[in-house]
Amino acid sequence: MGTQTDADFEPRRYRVRHRTTYSYAADVTGCYERGCLHPRETPSQQVRSNTIEVSPEPDLMTEHVDHFGNHSHYVEVRTPHTELAVTKTSVVDVAWPRTDLDELDRHTVAEAVELLAGEADPVERVSYLLPSALVDLSPEVRAYAARLLPGDRPLGEAVLDLTRTIFAEFRYAKGATSVKTTLPELLEKREGVCQDFAHLAVGCLRAVGLPARYVSGYLETQPPPGRPKLAGSDASHAWASVLVPGGTWVDLDPTNDHLADSRYVVTAWGRDFRDVSPLKGVIFTESPSSRLEVAVDVTRLEQGD
Amino acid sequence: MSAQVDEQPGGALEAYRALLASRAVERGEPSAPAVDELIGNGGVRPDHELLAHTVTAMGTTGLLTRAARARRFVQSDGVTYGSTDDGGQARNWHLDPLPVVLGAQEWAGLEAGLAQRAHLLDLVLADLYGERTLLHRRVVPAEVVLGHPGFVRQADRVRLPSPHQLLMSATDLARGSDGAWQVIADRTQAPSGAGYAMANRRIITRTMPALHRGTDLARLRSFFHTMRVALHDVAPETSEAPRVVVLSPGAGSETAFDQAFMATLLGFPLVEADDLTMRDGRVWVRTTGRLEPVDVILRRVDALWSDPLDLRADSQLGVPGLVEATRRGTVAVVNPLGAGVLENPGLQHFLGAVAREVLGEDLALGMPLSWWCGDDRQRSYVLAHLDELVLKPLWRDVDNESEFGWALSRAELDRLRARIEAQPWAWCAQEPLPDSSAPVVTRDGLEPRRLVLRTFAVAEGGDYRFLPGGLARVAASMDEYRVTGSAGALAKDVWVLSAPDAAAPPWVERSSRPAAVAEPAPTAGLAPRVAEDLFWIGRYAERAEGTARLLKVADDLTEDFDNRPGSLGAAAMTAVLDAVGAVTTVPAGDAREPGGRVRHLRTLVTDRRTPGTIAYAVDRLVQGSQQVRDQLSLDTWPILSRLEETLSAEQTEESQLQPLLERLIESLLALAGVMAQSMVRDRTWAYIDAGSRLERAQLTVALLAATLAPGRSPVLEGQVTEAILVAGESIITHRRRSAAGLGPASPVHSALDLLLLDVDNPRSVIFQLDRLGPDLELMGDGERRTQVAEIAQRLRAADVHRLAGHDRTALDQLLVRLGAELRDLADAVERRHFVRKAPQRTHVTEWTLGRDA
Repeated sequence: MGTQTDADFEPRRYRVRHRTTYSYAADVTGCYERGCLHPRETPSQQVRSNTIEVSPEPDLMTEHVDHFGNHSHYVEVRTPHTELAVTKTSVVDVAWPRTDLDELDRHTVAEAVELLAGEADPVERVSYLLPSALVDLSPEVRAYAARLLPGDRPLGEAVLDLTRTIFAEFRYAKGATSVKTTLPELLEKREGVCQDFAHLAVGCLRAVGLPARYVSGYLETQPPPGRPKLAGSDASHAWASVLVPGGTWVDLDPTNDHLADSRYVVTAWGRDFRDVSPLKGVIFTESPSSRLEVAVDVTRLEQGD
Repeated sequence: MSAQVDEQPGGALEAYRALLASRAVERGEPSAPAVDELIGNGGVRPDHELLAHTVTAMGTTGLLTRAARARRFVQSDGVTYGSTDDGGQARNWHLDPLPVVLGAQEWAGLEAGLAQRAHLLDLVLADLYGERTLLHRRVVPAEVVLGHPGFVRQADRVRLPSPHQLLMSATDLARGSDGAWQVIADRTQAPSGAGYAMANRRIITRTMPALHRGTDLARLRSFFHTMRVALHDVAPETSEAPRVVVLSPGAGSETAFDQAFMATLLGFPLVEADDLTMRDGRVWVRTTGRLEPVDVILRRVDALWSDPLDLRADSQLGVPGLVEATRRGTVAVVNPLGAGVLENPGLQHFLGAVAREVLGEDLALGMPLSWWCGDDRQRSYVLAHLDELVLKPLWRDVDNESEFGWALSRAELDRLRARIEAQPWAWCAQEPLPDSSAPVVTRDGLEPRRLVLRTFAVAEGGDYRFLPGGLARVAASMDEYRVTGSAGALAKDVWVLSAPDAAAPPWVERSSRPAAVAEPAPTAGLAPRVAEDLFWIGRYAERAEGTARLLKVADDLTEDFDNRPGSLGAAAMTAVLDAVGAVTTVPAGDAREPGGRVRHLRTLVTDRRTPGTIAYAVDRLVQGSQQVRDQLSLDTWPILSRLEETLSAEQTEESQLQPLLERLIESLLALAGVMAQSMVRDRTWAYIDAGSRLERAQLTVALLAATLAPGRSPVLEGQVTEAILVAGESIITHRRRSAAGLGPASPVHSALDLLLLDVDNPRSVIFQLDRLGPDLELMGDGERRTQVAEIAQRLRAADVHRLAGHDRTALDQLLVRLGAELRDLADAVERRHFVRKAPQRTHVTEWTLGRDA
């Protein structure tokens, strides 16, 4: 069980600085980027300020709210360049409540599925229930889910056990997987990173009929004195969220074995990583290769900073 | 071939009637079509009397002649369908000579039903990318839409500045057992086929002229006018003279002909992804001179492939940022990205309910009974009757096609059952339709084949307008129930008879409105890709002609002197054959073998694989023309077809090369005639002309360098010079001048005069250079124009008398330098005008990559 104390649920303010740098061996003559460069507002999160810097100066940068409610940015850079840097700096106030597990346990998994089918908005429910590009509900995923999320199990217990079991049965290993790794491959390898574990949790929940989404964001990594450092530190983070009766979403982090608390900063959510890729692009260049550097700082500020 | 056909007793029509009756008796599973288009229970159907009379009068022999004629027209009009292994266009378009006839009243009823359906689909489309009320209120199960890959979330809330969101709609129909038309599928992604329908009409009009003249039928052309107006009308408001382009996946796509012919009919340029670029959130077409803004894109690239930034990252067929441009409203994409979600048998299953909810009406057009497997009860029925039904996945894919239950084995049925159970919401089942049959001309007389009709609609001025009739496909054989291109279906022209009181076609009224007569934007510049194809069309056409002329001379000499070694003629022959080698760069075969020279010359004409041959040049000429079909006159195609036919005609050892070469030269002259007489002197023409001028100049220089620069004995040189003057189409002038005592005394001097420096001889190098100047001006290339002028000036300064003298060193030097200058010029033109975009790559930020990664 990952460490989590009452203090982790106290309201706080964070500054998140996320810098992505692409370097190329030859000039890029045209660059078109799509990214989530502004955190979304959520019941547990308010955005105080957000700045975006792009170098070279973009010819066009626009923002719209996408299908999933995220802020989505389009960036066009036509100045020839061998390096592109995109820096996002956000100040957010975060305050997550503790999830009432007893309330969740009032229903079994099967009852929750049944209730949601009747009461949830069909668009929201089905959007996050169907398989998606990176969440294939294969027989392997269904079998894994059936073990952890049996219909007669109380919902809160089942969700917590899913979080715990993935944490326990999978090794955190950078570089073991890529954006192309499928869930059956992950189940075979038993190692991966936060994105993989989030996808697996999402897949298991969907497999038994619970709508689940993929959440992309950050996790404060400055370890309090004497505490172990959390895996996935100083980087973007990802976890899962499940829709429960009553229409609320419960966020679970199988990488760190607990439900979300006020250390979690949300950027965006969608069906899987594909919907919320922090930054992706199409470039026109003769350069045969590119180098990517990402630097993330999550800094806790005093309120009023 | 028709001579071998035995006429059936009682005539072709009686035999067809008897065949229909016998098949009706032996109806099995799947049953024979319920009704026939031509013959009903009471005999020949109303409105079909003239068609029936034609069949009787022509008999099977006459009909087969017409079928052959239709085949020839398909070939000569250059109608292609499908693609070849090497990415070229396959000639799989097969057209039956007998049209399908629809009476005015039947068509009016069908049109009304189709209009209702198009309106409904339009409202559904607007809702799905807007409020999604149909899903929130559970009129349509959300899975049916949200699980469909054609639902493009990236295009959510993007609207066309138009009362309609669904601009184009096509509908596939077949008849039920009562003979009424039923909808089997909607085509809304990027409907294809209207161009084919027009091509069919052009061919059948010529194939069956008497029948066509005797029938008062609705014309097709007005539909394309309407479409043109409709496309102008959806342009963003800011543009006064909207620029519309047709976006094609490329000349290798299955329906490339349809796309290009449509572009021609509409008068809009056909472009590919490489021709477009995104700047400041706007789409621009790259032309050889500059960028020009694009206001409307008629899209023939499927949505998922049309933007590698927001959609499929691996697509090279799209423009990064296109989705963003549509959201910004700077460009209207037709059909809108995401319209493909309507091609959805699941949605079709619920469309009746949608019609009642949205329109408060029932659907006017019937549909086959269907089941949605996402519903437990319906799925139970489907699984219990799997071997009787057509199983349709919600979306089609390479390995996700409709399955015909009755055609599957036990094991296949089990696999299908497992697929359905694994993802029930992704499947629908339809009752098979009995369909109708239509007569198809075969060697054994008329055969009844299943028929599917595709209709075409365009939204214009608040209404949907239809192509009268549409495109009919008939199955490849009597027992074939699949009527699809991949199953070898044939096409038929569809004739809708005019209503007795038919009003003027709608576009006539519309065209009087100022918006409709707005002239298109000034002649668009050409995309570098197109310019390059045009330039090479010019080059290859000229290369084929120049080579043919030279080979004709060489063959002449070989005929006369191949068997007379040691003669003066044989020496001339060898010199000319050497020149052939130098000009074509094809190494000669073994000349010592008997017939070796003749065989080699034949190879130089007909070998498609070897660069330098005529066949190779003609192949490239045809391919290049197909790439830029919309830029060329329709007269081009019969000529190209004749060229191909001439080259593919069977060759034997005995067949003479001379008549073959003459026919080739004739066709190539006809092609040059079309270019000269039918093309406006704009950029399009300038690129073709520049290509052909450069080619002719280079070819002539190479020929002179190979023949006159070496220096030979005067007698031999006289013969060789005469040969090249023939090849250079200047012998008549030479003889006339000599006879009149006007020309230079030395034949070499005369040849150099005529072929290098005579400003009045259209075959001389200086003539080509003089014409290249204005070409380059049209191409907007002042720098190259100066370069040409300088080359021409140096050439004019040449002292021909000295060059033609005994010592040919100076001539050799001049020709070598001139050849190099021309090559540099050609290279410079290519570098300057045919610039492609830099390679396109995509990147996605990878998995967690923190500071310490």
